[in-house]
Amino acid sequence: MTAPSHFAIVTRDELWSLDRHTVLESRLIHGSAEQHGNRIDARDDSDDELRRLCDAECDRLREALKGLREGRARAVASATRVGGNVTTTSTISATVLDLSVATTLPHLAPDYEMLVDLASVKPTVDTDYARLPVVWRNGSGAVLLHEAAGHAAEHGHAQLAWPRWLSATDESEDGASNLLAGEAPRALRRQSFADVPLRRMTNVVIGSDSDSPLPDSRIEVLLVAGGRYEPLSGMVSLFVSAADEIDGGKSSRVRPFMILESRASIAAAMRGALGPVRRYPGVICSREGQELFVGSYAPDLITDFR
Amino acid sequence: MSEIYRKFGRTVRYDGGMFLRVEEAGQATETEQTFSCQPIARTVDLPDIEPDVVARTVRSIESVVSAPLTIERLVVSEGVAEHEFNDRRWQETTRRIHLSIVFGSLRALVDLAEFDIDAISFVAEALVRAGEQRRAPARIRIASNVSAALLPSLAGLAPPNVRLWQTAGGIDGKGEPVADHEIASTTYPNWYRPSYRTRPVRAPFNLRATCDVNAIDEDLPRAIALLAPPAGLSLRVLCVDAGDVYPATVRVARIDAIATATHWYPYAAGSFGAEMML
Repeated sequence: MTAPSHFAIVTRDELWSLDRHTVLESRLIHGSAEQHGNRIDARDDSDDELRRLCDAECDRLREALKGLREGRARAVASATRVGGNVTTTSTISATVLDLSVATTLPHLAPDYEMLVDLASVKPTVDTDYARLPVVWRNGSGAVLLHEAAGHAAEHGHAQLAWPRWLSATDESEDGASNLLAGEAPRALRRQSFADVPLRRMTNVVIGSDSDSPLPDSRIEVLLVAGGRYEPLSGMVSLFVSAADEIDGGKSSRVRPFMILESRASIAAAMRGALGPVRRYPGVICSREGQELFVGSYAPDLITDFR
Repeated sequence: MSEIYRKFGRTVRYDGGMFLRVEEAGQATETEQTFSCQPIARTVDLPDIEPDVVARTVRSIESVVSAPLTIERLVVSEGVAEHEFNDRRWQETTRRIHLSIVFGSLRALVDLAEFDIDAISFVAEALVRAGEQRRAPARIRIASNVSAALLPSLAGLAPPNVRLWQTAGGIDGKGEPVADHEIASTTYPNWYRPSYRTRPVRAPFNLRATCDVNAIDEDLPRAIALLAPPAGLSLRVLCVDAGDVYPATVRVARIDAIATATHWYPYAAGSFGAEMML
Protein backbone atom coordinates (compact mmCIF):
# COMPACT_ATOMS: atom_id res chain seq x y z
CA MET A 1 0.00 0.00 0.00
CA THR A 2 1.37 3.43 -0.89
CA ALA A 3 0.50 6.73 0.73
CA PRO A 4 -1.84 9.10 -1.09
CA SER A 5 0.12 11.26 -3.50
CA HIS A 6 -1.07 14.64 -2.22
CA PHE A 7 -1.08 15.87 1.37
CA ALA A 8 -1.70 19.40 2.61
CA ILE A 9 -2.08 20.83 6.07
CA VAL A 10 -2.73 24.10 7.88
CA THR A 11 -2.13 24.16 11.63
CA ARG A 12 -2.48 26.82 14.29
CA ASP A 13 -0.68 25.95 17.49
CA GLU A 14 -1.17 28.26 20.48
CA LEU A 15 0.13 28.17 24.03
CA TRP A 16 -2.25 29.90 26.46
CA SER A 17 -1.84 31.12 29.99
CA LEU A 18 -5.29 30.33 31.34
CA ASP A 19 -4.85 32.38 34.52
CA ARG A 20 -4.20 35.55 32.51
CA HIS A 21 -6.14 34.41 29.44
CA THR A 22 -3.33 35.44 27.12
CA VAL A 23 -1.55 33.74 24.24
CA LEU A 24 2.11 33.20 25.11
CA GLU A 25 3.15 31.49 21.90
CA SER A 26 1.42 31.22 18.53
CA ARG A 27 2.50 29.26 15.48
CA LEU A 28 0.97 29.08 12.03
CA ILE A 29 2.23 26.16 9.97
CA HIS A 30 1.14 25.26 6.47
CA GLY A 31 2.43 23.27 3.58
CA SER A 32 1.88 20.51 1.08
CA ALA A 33 3.67 17.33 0.06
CA GLU A 34 3.55 15.46 -3.22
CA GLN A 35 4.67 11.86 -3.06
CA HIS A 36 6.07 9.98 -6.04
CA GLY A 37 7.15 6.49 -4.99
CA ASN A 38 9.77 6.97 -2.29
CA ARG A 39 10.24 10.68 -3.03
CA ILE A 40 8.33 13.52 -1.38
CA ASP A 41 8.46 17.14 -2.53
CA ALA A 42 7.29 19.34 0.32
CA ARG A 43 6.88 23.09 0.48
CA ASP A 44 5.16 25.56 2.76
CA ASP A 45 2.30 26.46 0.39
CA SER A 46 -1.01 27.58 1.82
CA ASP A 47 -4.25 25.84 0.84
CA ASP A 48 -6.98 28.51 1.09
CA GLU A 49 -9.81 26.11 1.92
CA LEU A 50 -7.75 24.46 4.66
CA ARG A 51 -6.75 27.86 6.01
CA ARG A 52 -10.42 28.87 6.38
CA LEU A 53 -11.31 25.58 8.05
CA CYS A 54 -8.33 25.75 10.40
CA ASP A 55 -9.06 29.36 11.37
CA ALA A 56 -12.70 28.53 12.08
CA GLU A 57 -11.66 25.56 14.23
CA CYS A 58 -9.13 27.74 16.03
CA ASP A 59 -11.85 30.30 16.79
CA ARG A 60 -13.91 27.52 18.35
CA LEU A 61 -10.91 26.44 20.41
CA ARG A 62 -10.30 30.00 21.67
CA GLU A 63 -13.96 30.32 22.61
CA ALA A 64 -13.82 27.06 24.54
CA LEU A 65 -10.65 28.13 26.36
CA LYS A 66 -12.39 31.25 27.69
CA GLY A 67 -14.15 29.12 30.28
CA LEU A 68 -10.89 27.77 31.74
CA ARG A 69 -9.30 29.76 34.53
CA GLU A 70 -6.27 27.87 35.82
CA GLY A 71 -2.99 26.56 34.40
CA ARG A 72 -1.84 26.45 30.80
CA ALA A 73 -3.17 24.95 27.60
CA ARG A 74 -1.60 24.16 24.27
CA ALA A 75 -4.34 24.26 21.66
CA VAL A 76 -3.69 22.86 18.19
CA ALA A 77 -6.20 23.17 15.34
CA SER A 78 -5.43 21.48 12.02
CA ALA A 79 -7.14 21.08 8.68
CA THR A 80 -5.66 18.42 6.40
CA ARG A 81 -6.23 17.24 2.87
CA VAL A 82 -5.20 13.67 2.04
CA GLY A 83 -5.95 13.00 -1.59
CA GLY A 84 -9.50 14.41 -1.90
CA ASN A 85 -10.41 13.91 1.74
CA VAL A 86 -10.48 16.99 3.99
CA THR A 87 -10.61 16.70 7.78
CA THR A 88 -10.40 19.12 10.67
CA THR A 89 -9.05 18.22 14.10
CA SER A 90 -8.30 20.02 17.32
CA THR A 91 -6.43 18.88 20.38
CA ILE A 92 -5.79 20.59 23.68
CA SER A 93 -3.08 19.70 26.20
CA ALA A 94 -4.07 21.32 29.48
CA THR A 95 -1.79 21.51 32.52
CA VAL A 96 -2.79 22.36 36.08
CA LEU A 97 -0.03 22.20 38.69
CA ASP A 98 1.85 18.96 37.98
CA LEU A 99 -0.93 17.21 36.05
CA SER A 100 -1.81 17.29 32.36
CA VAL A 101 -4.42 15.86 30.03
CA ALA A 102 -4.55 15.75 26.26
CA THR A 103 -8.05 15.96 24.87
CA THR A 104 -10.18 17.10 21.97
CA LEU A 105 -12.52 20.06 21.66
CA PRO A 106 -15.81 18.17 22.23
CA HIS A 107 -14.47 16.75 25.49
CA LEU A 108 -12.50 19.73 26.76
CA ALA A 109 -14.94 20.87 29.47
CA PRO A 110 -15.38 17.53 31.30
CA ASP A 111 -11.70 16.57 30.90
CA TYR A 112 -10.51 19.93 32.22
CA GLU A 113 -12.93 19.62 35.13
CA MET A 114 -11.49 16.18 35.88
CA LEU A 115 -7.96 17.62 35.70
CA VAL A 116 -8.74 20.43 38.14
CA ASP A 117 -10.43 17.94 40.45
CA LEU A 118 -7.43 15.58 40.35
CA ALA A 119 -4.98 18.45 40.89
CA SER A 120 -6.90 19.61 43.97
CA VAL A 121 -5.94 16.48 45.93
CA LYS A 122 -2.40 16.43 47.28
CA PRO A 123 -0.61 13.07 47.22
CA THR A 124 0.18 11.85 50.71
CA VAL A 125 1.53 8.31 50.43
CA ASP A 126 3.93 6.22 48.36
CA THR A 127 2.77 2.99 46.82
CA ASP A 128 4.20 -0.13 45.25
CA TYR A 129 2.28 -1.39 42.26
CA ALA A 130 3.77 -4.87 42.72
CA ARG A 131 2.06 -5.18 46.14
CA LEU A 132 -1.61 -4.68 45.15
CA PRO A 133 -3.89 -5.27 42.18
CA VAL A 134 -4.04 -2.23 39.90
CA VAL A 135 -7.39 -1.06 38.52
CA TRP A 136 -7.03 1.17 35.47
CA ARG A 137 -9.84 3.71 35.82
CA ASN A 138 -11.11 6.40 33.45
CA GLY A 139 -10.17 4.36 30.36
CA SER A 140 -6.47 4.56 31.30
CA GLY A 141 -6.07 0.84 30.50
CA ALA A 142 -6.04 1.92 26.85
CA VAL A 143 -2.74 3.71 27.52
CA LEU A 144 -1.27 0.52 29.00
CA LEU A 145 -2.22 -1.47 25.90
CA HIS A 146 -1.25 1.40 23.56
CA GLU A 147 2.31 0.85 24.80
CA ALA A 148 2.31 -2.91 25.38
CA ALA A 149 0.38 -4.02 22.30
CA GLY A 150 0.04 -1.03 19.96
CA HIS A 151 3.66 -0.04 19.63
CA ALA A 152 4.72 -3.68 19.52
CA ALA A 153 2.33 -4.14 16.57
CA GLU A 154 3.74 -1.03 14.88
CA HIS A 155 7.17 -2.65 15.15
CA GLY A 156 5.89 -6.02 13.88
CA HIS A 157 6.86 -7.81 17.08
CA ALA A 158 5.70 -11.36 17.80
CA GLN A 159 2.28 -11.67 19.36
CA LEU A 160 1.89 -12.81 22.95
CA ALA A 161 -0.60 -15.02 24.78
CA TRP A 162 -3.06 -12.30 25.75
CA PRO A 163 -6.20 -13.40 27.67
CA ARG A 164 -9.07 -14.54 25.45
CA TRP A 165 -11.50 -12.14 27.15
CA LEU A 166 -9.43 -9.12 26.05
CA SER A 167 -9.39 -7.29 22.74
CA ALA A 168 -7.40 -4.26 21.60
CA THR A 169 -8.22 -2.68 18.27
CA ASP A 170 -6.85 0.33 16.48
CA GLU A 171 -9.67 2.02 14.59
CA SER A 172 -9.20 4.56 11.81
CA GLU A 173 -10.84 5.56 8.54
CA ASP A 174 -8.48 3.12 6.84
CA GLY A 175 -9.87 0.19 8.82
CA ALA A 176 -9.42 -1.70 12.06
CA SER A 177 -6.45 -3.75 13.13
CA ASN A 178 -6.23 -6.32 15.91
CA LEU A 179 -3.29 -5.08 17.98
CA LEU A 180 -3.17 -8.19 20.20
CA ALA A 181 -2.72 -10.30 17.05
CA GLY A 182 0.20 -8.08 16.03
CA GLU A 183 -1.60 -6.34 13.17
CA ALA A 184 -0.02 -2.99 12.41
CA PRO A 185 -2.28 0.08 12.36
CA ARG A 186 -3.84 0.66 8.95
CA ALA A 187 -3.55 4.44 8.88
CA LEU A 188 -0.51 6.23 7.50
CA ARG A 189 -0.24 9.39 9.59
CA ARG A 190 2.14 12.35 9.76
CA GLN A 191 2.36 15.39 11.96
CA SER A 192 3.11 17.91 9.24
CA PHE A 193 3.93 18.41 5.57
CA ALA A 194 7.69 17.91 6.04
CA ASP A 195 7.25 14.58 7.85
CA VAL A 196 7.30 11.02 6.53
CA PRO A 197 3.94 9.19 6.76
CA LEU A 198 4.13 6.29 9.21
CA ARG A 199 1.77 3.53 10.27
CA ARG A 200 0.56 4.95 13.55
CA MET A 201 -2.34 4.31 15.91
CA THR A 202 -5.44 6.52 15.60
CA ASN A 203 -7.99 5.26 18.16
CA VAL A 204 -7.13 2.44 20.56
CA VAL A 205 -10.29 0.67 21.70
CA ILE A 206 -10.08 -2.00 24.38
CA GLY A 207 -12.87 -4.55 24.68
CA SER A 208 -13.58 -7.24 27.23
CA ASP A 209 -15.84 -10.24 27.85
CA SER A 210 -14.85 -10.19 31.49
CA ASP A 211 -16.93 -8.87 34.38
CA SER A 212 -14.57 -9.20 37.31
CA PRO A 213 -15.25 -8.15 40.90
CA LEU A 214 -13.41 -5.09 42.15
CA PRO A 215 -10.62 -6.09 44.59
CA ASP A 216 -11.16 -4.65 48.09
CA SER A 217 -7.56 -3.47 48.31
CA ARG A 218 -6.18 -1.95 45.15
CA ILE A 219 -4.39 0.89 43.41
CA GLU A 220 -6.66 2.88 41.11
CA VAL A 221 -4.81 4.57 38.23
CA LEU A 222 -6.59 7.80 37.32
CA LEU A 223 -4.17 9.61 35.02
CA VAL A 224 -1.05 8.59 33.10
CA ALA A 225 1.49 11.31 32.29
CA GLY A 226 3.29 9.35 29.61
CA GLY A 227 4.55 6.02 28.44
CA ARG A 228 7.25 4.42 26.39
CA TYR A 229 7.81 1.13 24.60
CA GLU A 230 11.43 0.08 24.10
CA PRO A 231 11.41 -2.04 20.95
CA LEU A 232 14.73 -3.79 21.62
CA SER A 233 13.88 -5.10 25.07
CA GLY A 234 10.09 -5.16 24.86
CA MET A 235 9.97 -3.14 28.10
CA VAL A 236 7.08 -0.80 28.78
CA SER A 237 7.37 2.19 31.09
CA LEU A 238 4.33 4.14 32.21
CA PHE A 239 4.43 7.28 34.35
CA VAL A 240 1.35 7.32 36.54
CA SER A 241 0.66 10.91 37.62
CA ALA A 242 -2.54 10.44 39.63
CA ALA A 243 -3.67 7.32 41.47
CA ASP A 244 -5.40 6.33 44.68
CA GLU A 245 -4.63 3.48 47.01
CA ILE A 246 -7.84 1.92 48.27
CA ASP A 247 -7.91 -0.23 51.37
CA GLY A 248 -11.47 -1.26 52.08
CA GLY A 249 -13.30 2.04 52.63
CA LYS A 250 -10.14 4.16 52.97
CA SER A 251 -8.70 6.03 49.98
CA SER A 252 -5.33 7.83 49.82
CA ARG A 253 -3.86 9.77 46.88
CA VAL A 254 -0.45 8.29 46.06
CA ARG A 255 2.62 10.10 44.78
CA PRO A 256 3.43 9.71 41.08
CA PHE A 257 5.16 6.44 40.27
CA MET A 258 6.52 4.53 37.30
CA ILE A 259 5.48 1.10 36.14
CA LEU A 260 8.29 -0.72 34.38
CA GLU A 261 7.42 -4.17 33.03
CA SER A 262 8.02 -6.29 29.95
CA ARG A 263 5.04 -6.59 27.67
CA ALA A 264 5.07 -10.32 28.40
CA SER A 265 4.63 -9.64 32.10
CA ILE A 266 1.85 -7.15 31.33
CA ALA A 267 0.05 -9.84 29.30
CA ALA A 268 0.49 -12.26 32.20
CA ALA A 269 -0.75 -9.67 34.72
CA MET A 270 -4.12 -9.15 33.03
CA ARG A 271 -6.76 -10.36 35.50
CA GLY A 272 -10.04 -9.04 34.19
CA ALA A 273 -12.16 -6.02 33.48
CA LEU A 274 -15.34 -4.41 34.68
CA GLY A 275 -17.73 -1.67 33.77
CA PRO A 276 -18.44 0.01 30.45
CA VAL A 277 -15.85 1.16 27.95
CA ARG A 278 -14.84 4.69 28.96
CA ARG A 279 -13.09 7.37 26.97
CA TYR A 280 -9.67 8.31 28.35
CA PRO A 281 -8.92 11.97 27.56
CA GLY A 282 -6.27 10.91 25.04
CA VAL A 283 -2.60 10.41 24.36
CA ILE A 284 -0.10 12.58 22.52
CA CYS A 285 2.03 9.83 21.05
CA SER A 286 5.57 10.74 20.06
CA ARG A 287 7.55 8.52 17.73
CA GLU A 288 10.41 9.38 15.38
CA GLY A 289 9.96 13.05 16.21
CA GLN A 290 6.29 13.19 15.22
CA GLU A 291 3.62 13.94 17.84
CA LEU A 292 0.14 12.62 17.06
CA PHE A 293 -3.06 12.51 19.11
CA VAL A 294 -4.39 8.98 19.69
CA GLY A 295 -7.90 8.40 21.05
CA SER A 296 -8.13 5.90 23.91
CA TYR A 297 -11.08 3.84 25.14
CA ALA A 298 -11.20 1.02 27.69
CA PRO A 299 -13.28 -0.53 30.45
CA ASP A 300 -11.70 -0.62 33.90
CA LEU A 301 -8.91 -3.17 33.49
CA ILE A 302 -7.44 -5.09 36.41
CA THR A 303 -3.79 -6.10 36.44
CA ASP A 304 -1.87 -7.88 39.15
CA PHE A 305 1.94 -7.89 39.08
CA ARG A 306 2.40 -9.75 42.41
CA MET B 1 10.18 45.99 21.60
CA SER B 2 9.77 43.06 19.25
CA GLU B 3 12.54 41.12 17.55
CA ILE B 4 12.02 39.72 14.08
CA TYR B 5 13.91 36.76 12.68
CA ARG B 6 13.46 35.28 9.19
CA LYS B 7 14.75 32.05 7.75
CA PHE B 8 14.75 30.75 4.19
CA GLY B 9 15.63 27.10 3.92
CA ARG B 10 15.98 24.15 1.60
CA THR B 11 16.77 20.61 2.70
CA VAL B 12 17.07 17.18 1.17
CA ARG B 13 16.52 14.44 3.73
CA TYR B 14 16.38 10.66 3.76
CA ASP B 15 14.08 9.52 6.56
CA GLY B 16 12.23 6.25 7.05
CA GLY B 17 12.94 4.99 3.53
CA MET B 18 11.78 8.23 1.88
CA PHE B 19 13.71 11.04 0.21
CA LEU B 20 12.18 14.38 1.09
CA ARG B 21 12.94 17.73 -0.49
CA VAL B 22 11.59 20.55 1.67
CA GLU B 23 11.38 24.24 0.73
CA GLU B 24 10.22 26.72 3.33
CA ALA B 25 10.59 30.21 4.69
CA GLY B 26 9.27 31.73 7.86
CA GLN B 27 9.33 34.60 10.28
CA ALA B 28 9.39 34.60 14.05
CA THR B 29 8.42 37.62 16.14
CA GLU B 30 9.33 37.76 19.79
CA THR B 31 8.64 40.17 22.60
CA GLU B 32 9.61 39.71 26.22
CA GLN B 33 6.34 37.88 26.86
CA THR B 34 5.25 36.39 23.55
CA PHE B 35 6.50 34.41 20.56
CA SER B 36 4.77 33.93 17.22
CA CYS B 37 5.80 32.53 13.86
CA GLN B 38 4.37 31.95 10.43
CA PRO B 39 5.48 31.06 6.91
CA ILE B 40 6.47 33.91 4.57
CA ALA B 41 7.09 34.12 0.83
CA ARG B 42 10.19 32.26 -0.36
CA THR B 43 11.89 35.32 -1.82
CA VAL B 44 15.52 34.24 -1.44
CA ASP B 45 17.31 32.22 -4.10
CA LEU B 46 19.15 29.46 -2.33
CA PRO B 47 21.82 27.22 -3.84
CA ASP B 48 20.60 23.91 -5.19
CA ILE B 49 21.24 20.73 -3.24
CA GLU B 50 22.32 17.70 -5.21
CA PRO B 51 19.95 14.94 -4.01
CA ASP B 52 22.24 12.19 -5.27
CA VAL B 53 24.78 13.03 -2.56
CA VAL B 54 22.26 12.09 0.13
CA ALA B 55 21.19 9.00 -1.83
CA ARG B 56 24.80 7.85 -2.29
CA THR B 57 25.46 8.37 1.42
CA VAL B 58 22.44 6.25 2.32
CA ARG B 59 23.63 3.46 0.02
CA SER B 60 27.11 3.61 1.52
CA ILE B 61 25.74 3.39 5.05
CA GLU B 62 23.50 0.48 4.10
CA SER B 63 26.50 -1.31 2.64
CA VAL B 64 28.58 -1.06 5.83
CA VAL B 65 25.71 -1.79 8.22
CA SER B 66 24.77 -5.24 7.00
CA ALA B 67 23.44 -8.46 8.55
CA PRO B 68 23.52 -9.49 11.32
CA LEU B 69 23.36 -5.77 12.08
CA THR B 70 20.18 -3.90 11.26
CA ILE B 71 19.48 -0.22 10.75
CA GLU B 72 16.78 0.81 13.21
CA ARG B 73 16.65 4.45 12.13
CA LEU B 74 18.58 6.39 9.54
CA VAL B 75 18.22 10.08 8.79
CA VAL B 76 20.64 11.69 6.34
CA SER B 77 20.16 15.35 5.45
CA GLU B 78 21.79 18.22 3.69
CA GLY B 79 20.48 21.74 4.03
CA VAL B 80 21.13 25.32 3.11
CA ALA B 81 19.60 28.29 4.89
CA GLU B 82 19.70 32.04 4.86
CA HIS B 83 18.97 33.78 8.15
CA GLU B 84 17.97 37.37 8.81
CA PHE B 85 17.81 39.14 12.17
CA ASN B 86 17.40 42.91 12.27
CA ASP B 87 19.73 44.07 9.48
CA ARG B 88 22.05 41.06 9.62
CA ARG B 89 21.93 38.27 7.06
CA TRP B 90 23.99 35.11 7.06
CA GLN B 91 23.99 31.73 5.32
CA GLU B 92 24.84 28.28 6.54
CA THR B 93 25.00 24.81 5.08
CA THR B 94 24.56 21.68 7.14
CA ARG B 95 25.05 17.97 6.77
CA ARG B 96 23.72 15.55 9.34
CA ILE B 97 23.56 11.80 9.87
CA HIS B 98 21.51 10.25 12.65
CA LEU B 99 21.83 6.48 12.74
CA SER B 100 20.86 3.78 15.19
CA ILE B 101 22.34 0.35 14.54
CA VAL B 102 20.96 -2.73 16.27
CA PHE B 103 22.78 -5.94 17.12
CA GLY B 104 20.76 -8.29 19.31
CA SER B 105 19.60 -6.18 22.24
CA LEU B 106 22.23 -3.47 21.68
CA ARG B 107 21.62 -0.17 19.92
CA ALA B 108 24.58 1.98 18.89
CA LEU B 109 23.87 5.66 18.23
CA VAL B 110 25.80 7.67 15.66
CA ASP B 111 25.34 11.42 15.12
CA LEU B 112 27.59 13.15 12.64
CA ALA B 113 27.88 16.57 11.01
CA GLU B 114 29.49 15.20 7.85
CA PHE B 115 28.95 12.23 5.57
CA ASP B 116 31.75 10.19 7.17
CA ILE B 117 31.18 6.53 6.33
CA ASP B 118 34.46 5.46 7.99
CA ALA B 119 33.16 6.59 11.39
CA ILE B 120 30.05 4.44 10.89
CA SER B 121 32.01 1.47 9.60
CA PHE B 122 34.26 1.62 12.68
CA VAL B 123 31.27 1.39 15.03
CA ALA B 124 29.54 -1.30 12.95
CA GLU B 125 32.62 -3.53 12.85
CA ALA B 126 32.95 -3.36 16.64
CA LEU B 127 29.26 -3.76 17.42
CA VAL B 128 28.99 -7.04 15.55
CA ARG B 129 31.66 -8.50 17.87
CA ALA B 130 29.95 -7.32 21.08
CA GLY B 131 29.66 -9.81 23.92
CA GLU B 132 27.92 -9.71 27.29
CA GLN B 133 27.63 -6.66 29.52
CA ARG B 134 30.64 -6.10 31.82
CA ARG B 135 31.55 -3.73 34.61
CA ALA B 136 33.18 -0.61 33.27
CA PRO B 137 36.98 -0.69 33.58
CA ALA B 138 38.39 1.47 36.40
CA ARG B 139 40.32 3.49 33.82
CA ILE B 140 39.01 4.00 30.31
CA ARG B 141 39.42 6.19 27.23
CA ILE B 142 36.35 7.90 25.78
CA ALA B 143 36.38 8.46 22.02
CA SER B 144 35.61 11.96 20.72
CA ASN B 145 32.17 11.00 19.36
CA VAL B 146 31.20 9.82 22.87
CA SER B 147 32.78 12.69 24.83
CA ALA B 148 31.03 15.21 22.55
CA ALA B 149 27.66 13.88 23.69
CA LEU B 150 28.76 14.13 27.32
CA LEU B 151 29.83 17.79 27.21
CA PRO B 152 26.35 19.39 27.54
CA SER B 153 25.89 17.39 30.77
CA LEU B 154 29.16 18.79 32.15
CA ALA B 155 27.90 22.40 32.15
CA GLY B 156 27.98 23.45 35.79
CA LEU B 157 29.22 19.99 36.85
CA ALA B 158 32.71 19.76 35.37
CA PRO B 159 35.36 18.42 37.77
CA PRO B 160 37.76 21.09 39.14
CA ASN B 161 40.63 20.07 36.82
CA VAL B 162 38.43 20.47 33.73
CA ARG B 163 37.39 23.76 32.14
CA LEU B 164 34.45 24.02 29.78
CA TRP B 165 34.44 26.52 26.94
CA GLN B 166 32.20 27.90 24.28
CA THR B 167 34.39 28.02 21.16
CA ALA B 168 34.28 30.92 18.72
CA GLY B 169 32.68 30.22 15.36
CA GLY B 170 29.43 30.85 13.55
CA ILE B 171 26.47 33.10 14.27
CA ASP B 172 23.86 32.57 16.96
CA GLY B 173 20.05 32.69 16.68
CA LYS B 174 19.98 36.45 17.15
CA GLY B 175 22.69 37.30 14.64
CA GLU B 176 25.54 37.68 17.12
CA PRO B 177 28.93 36.08 16.48
CA VAL B 178 29.69 33.16 18.74
CA ALA B 179 32.79 34.15 20.71
CA ASP B 180 35.15 32.24 23.00
CA HIS B 181 33.68 32.13 26.47
CA GLU B 182 34.40 30.04 29.52
CA ILE B 183 31.34 28.16 30.72
CA ALA B 184 31.62 28.48 34.50
CA SER B 185 27.89 28.15 35.22
CA THR B 186 24.70 27.57 33.29
CA THR B 187 24.41 31.16 32.06
CA TYR B 188 25.32 31.60 28.41
CA PRO B 189 25.92 34.64 26.21
CA ASN B 190 24.36 33.32 23.00
CA TRP B 191 20.95 32.22 21.73
CA TYR B 192 20.19 28.85 20.12
CA ARG B 193 17.41 28.74 17.53
CA PRO B 194 17.35 25.44 15.61
CA SER B 195 14.20 26.41 13.66
CA TYR B 196 12.19 29.58 13.09
CA ARG B 197 9.32 27.76 14.82
CA THR B 198 11.37 27.30 17.99
CA ARG B 199 11.58 30.06 20.58
CA PRO B 200 15.30 30.80 21.01
CA VAL B 201 16.95 29.82 24.29
CA ARG B 202 20.32 30.70 25.73
CA ALA B 203 22.72 27.81 25.20
CA PRO B 204 26.44 27.14 24.93
CA PHE B 205 27.73 26.81 21.35
CA ASN B 206 30.60 24.63 20.17
CA LEU B 207 31.33 23.24 23.64
CA ARG B 208 34.89 22.17 24.31
CA ALA B 209 36.52 20.80 27.45
CA THR B 210 40.14 21.35 28.38
CA CYS B 211 42.39 19.86 31.01
CA ASP B 212 45.99 20.57 32.03
CA VAL B 213 46.85 16.96 31.20
CA ASN B 214 46.58 16.07 27.50
CA ALA B 215 48.42 12.76 27.33
CA ILE B 216 46.11 9.77 26.82
CA ASP B 217 47.22 6.23 27.68
CA GLU B 218 46.60 4.49 24.36
CA ASP B 219 46.65 1.04 26.02
CA LEU B 220 43.48 1.62 28.04
CA PRO B 221 40.12 0.14 27.02
CA ARG B 222 38.20 2.59 24.85
CA ALA B 223 34.50 3.56 24.74
CA ILE B 224 33.87 3.94 21.03
CA ALA B 225 30.11 4.44 20.75
CA LEU B 226 27.06 5.45 22.74
CA LEU B 227 24.51 2.69 23.37
CA ALA B 228 21.99 5.19 24.78
CA PRO B 229 21.78 8.96 25.09
CA PRO B 230 23.80 10.20 28.10
CA ALA B 231 21.84 10.22 31.36
CA GLY B 232 23.53 13.08 33.17
CA LEU B 233 27.09 11.93 33.81
CA SER B 234 26.25 8.26 33.19
CA LEU B 235 27.18 6.82 29.80
CA ARG B 236 26.09 3.46 28.41
CA VAL B 237 28.83 2.68 25.92
CA LEU B 238 30.39 0.06 23.70
CA CYS B 239 33.90 -0.72 24.98
CA VAL B 240 36.79 -2.14 23.01
CA ASP B 241 39.36 -3.78 25.26
CA ALA B 242 42.18 -5.49 23.33
CA GLY B 243 40.27 -8.14 21.36
CA ASP B 244 37.08 -7.90 23.44
CA VAL B 245 34.04 -5.76 22.74
CA TYR B 246 31.31 -5.35 25.36
CA PRO B 247 28.66 -2.95 26.64
CA ALA B 248 29.30 -1.17 29.93
CA THR B 249 27.96 1.74 31.94
CA VAL B 250 30.53 4.41 32.76
CA ARG B 251 29.88 6.98 35.49
CA VAL B 252 31.98 10.05 34.91
CA ALA B 253 33.30 11.07 38.34
CA ARG B 254 36.82 12.10 37.39
CA ILE B 255 38.49 13.14 34.13
CA ASP B 256 42.26 12.59 34.14
CA ALA B 257 43.18 13.90 30.69
CA ILE B 258 41.67 15.42 27.56
CA ALA B 259 43.50 15.34 24.23
CA THR B 260 43.89 18.57 22.28
CA ALA B 261 42.65 17.26 18.92
CA THR B 262 38.93 17.89 18.58
CA HIS B 263 36.11 17.09 16.20
CA TRP B 264 32.69 18.86 15.98
CA TYR B 265 29.50 16.87 16.56
CA PRO B 266 25.87 18.04 16.29
CA TYR B 267 24.81 17.67 19.92
CA ALA B 268 22.58 20.57 21.03
CA ALA B 269 24.29 23.76 19.74
CA GLY B 270 27.42 21.78 18.90
CA SER B 271 30.20 20.01 20.79
CA PHE B 272 33.88 19.57 20.05
CA GLY B 273 34.55 16.02 21.17
CA ALA B 274 38.06 15.04 22.18
CA GLU B 275 39.60 11.80 23.37
CA MET B 276 39.22 11.71 27.16
CA MET B 277 40.81 9.53 29.80
CA LEU B 278 38.83 8.71 32.92
